[in-house]
Amino acid sequence: MAANNQELQNLVNYGLVKAHVAMGLIFFIIVALMGFLYSLQLDGIYPFGGIEFLSPGRVRMIHTAGAAYGFLVNMFTGLIYWAIPRFTGYKVLSNALGWFMFIALQAAVLITVVAILFLGMADNVEWGETPWWLDPIIVFWLLLHLLQFGAPLFKASQRGPLYVTGWYMSAMLVWTPLVVFMGNLIPRFWSVGSGAGAVQSTFIHDLVGLYVTPVAWGLMYYFVPVIMKKPMWSHGLSLLGFWGLAFFYPMNGVHHFLWSPIPMFAQYSAVFATVAVEFAVTSVLINFMMTLRGSAEQLKYNVPLRYMYTGAIFYWITCFQCAFHVTLTFQKVIHFTDWVTGHAHLIMFGTFGLWVLGMAEYVWPRLFGKETMYSKGLSEGAYWLLMIGVFAMFVDLTAGGLVQGFDWIGLNPWIDSVNFSKPFWYFRSVTGIMMITGLFMYALNFYKTATAKAGLTAELREA
Amino acid sequence: MGKMERFSFVALVAGIIFFLFADFISWALPMFVLKDIPKKSVEDLAAEAIAKNTTAWSDFNKLARYYPESFKKLCNYTEAYSGAAEVIKDCKPNEKTFAKALRIGHRWYIAEGCWNCHSQMVRPVSNETLRFGIPGVSNTVSYPSEFQNELQAPVLWGTKRIGPDLIREAAVHNIGWQVAHLYNPQSTSPGSNMPGYTWYFEKTKDGKIVPNERGIALLTYIMWLGSWEVKPPKPFRIETAEK
Repeated sequence: MAANNQELQNLVNYGLVKAHVAMGLIFFIIVALMGFLYSLQLDGIYPFGGIEFLSPGRVRMIHTAGAAYGFLVNMFTGLIYWAIPRFTGYKVLSNALGWFMFIALQAAVLITVVAILFLGMADNVEWGETPWWLDPIIVFWLLLHLLQFGAPLFKASQRGPLYVTGWYMSAMLVWTPLVVFMGNLIPRFWSVGSGAGAVQSTFIHDLVGLYVTPVAWGLMYYFVPVIMKKPMWSHGLSLLGFWGLAFFYPMNGVHHFLWSPIPMFAQYSAVFATVAVEFAVTSVLINFMMTLRGSAEQLKYNVPLRYMYTGAIFYWITCFQCAFHVTLTFQKVIHFTDWVTGHAHLIMFGTFGLWVLGMAEYVWPRLFGKETMYSKGLSEGAYWLLMIGVFAMFVDLTAGGLVQGFDWIGLNPWIDSVNFSKPFWYFRSVTGIMMITGLFMYALNFYKTATAKAGLTAELREA
Repeated sequence: MGKMERFSFVALVAGIIFFLFADFISWALPMFVLKDIPKKSVEDLAAEAIAKNTTAWSDFNKLARYYPESFKKLCNYTEAYSGAAEVIKDCKPNEKTFAKALRIGHRWYIAEGCWNCHSQMVRPVSNETLRFGIPGVSNTVSYPSEFQNELQAPVLWGTKRIGPDLIREAAVHNIGWQVAHLYNPQSTSPGSNMPGYTWYFEKTKDGKIVPNERGIALLTYIMWLGSWEVKPPKPFRIETAEK
């Protein structure tokens, strides 16, 4: 056992996993607080009115850009430092490079915060709000990321086929630098107007679909079978899901700007590809649900696994919703309303947020040589607050979005739609408090687990 | 199947070929379709507004007349980020100062995240031409050529409407309304949840609150939005200006 542990410690750089996951959690709390702060402006009770650098518009950009680079990139990078060496059997390229990338990533996020809040340097690309001069540096970082994680994947595929996680990671490592380069630099330097709009919308969805989604699904394909100690139900469905996603997902983006001056063929192809993606997603979901068959009892006791399956169900709800609201008919009503905001929160927080929290909760005690988290109560409490909070926010914003959409079509005075939305916005702030409380409980549990002196054991005791 | 599951195959086929194919359909082909529409620089836009005597140009003149001291400061104000790095010696409302104001205004419009709550796109559905324009004055659907300029790179179509669309704003409100609204939105729109942007204003010696240099630039940019669509611009505007 001890020798085995030593071997694993040589394979996985525990320090890098710890550092990335911890920073990811810190940024998660910060961006959640930023989102809450912005929601107070909508409620009309913003506490920092009249302060230039805390203007709600700027805070909102920290919320979105921070969620992408501070929270998700940190969390995902930490978790793939754990997963890739373990399923390939090879170390990442270099530990020194890993620490350099870690520091560079935190520096990039902090520079973005300073630039947006204090210097007024933002970019009007959603999810690419980083000032444009930072974007080439991010692309360079992502090329290092390709080398760092491409090395073990490449070595492993010399020996034989890669596991499913490896396909998702291989594709993602190539996609991400291309996507960031395309989305941030082409609309600024090589294109304007509707063409730029087409690139930007492709970018928004590509960052979700070609970075966040493949990393997250790749990690799911790794962690779920490991936790349940059994293989995925169908290898064929894994193949179908991956190649379906890889082919159709990159074409989805233009659905962000339907009924816009972008040529209609691009809009139609985006609608078609999006509906096709939902079929691929459903095949993946079937695979995961069938894997659960016979092991569903574990969801009662195993909080990480429960996070993962809750996220998976939320994922399917989001995609099912998307297959409808991506159509030109639905877009007449819901475009630019809170419906979209609810959709974005269910996928980013409800799915990817809960997934990384579940995975991190599985990994964290193991990083410190402990068998379980410090407190079962904190762990359960955080789960329920986060899950109920985000789903309530989703339902609330979806309903609010419909109210706004129909109100706008009805040509009532604009202020009516603001007044009608206020109850929904108040309720959204309340759900925000639930989610932030959950995150604080989760973080406290993390802190206590890391610092607990006695070894925490997972033995069952008689009540 | 074994080959399909290796790093190099996935990276090449999914990572590069699929990605390029999708980009070709999603934006390279649309860009090709739109390539004959001339791309205008900010200077072109300024020259065009002056030549056509649009509302944006007359509003810029008004700002210079109402707030001469802030206007002088605008001429001396420089910032590298938006490309307005030059001090302008000939400090009058002209093509150069107008272009400078548009650049600076556009930069701060983005920096304040205005585009998070205001879209710049009138869709051909959901009665939007009626809602966001003034019938008979400016109520067209958004069309590609009005976005084919440097101030729409990246494009500012927006993401969410808390407030109304702004791409036909020039026809909807006048400059006085805009000044009051930017300082205190509730003064003109009771119940609005837009924050006041007080740092775009300053107090003069006699206690008046006036837009500062960045404020003038931001107001110029806002009043420029949709000014090319306001009909009939020329005779109507010249008469009022000369009285």
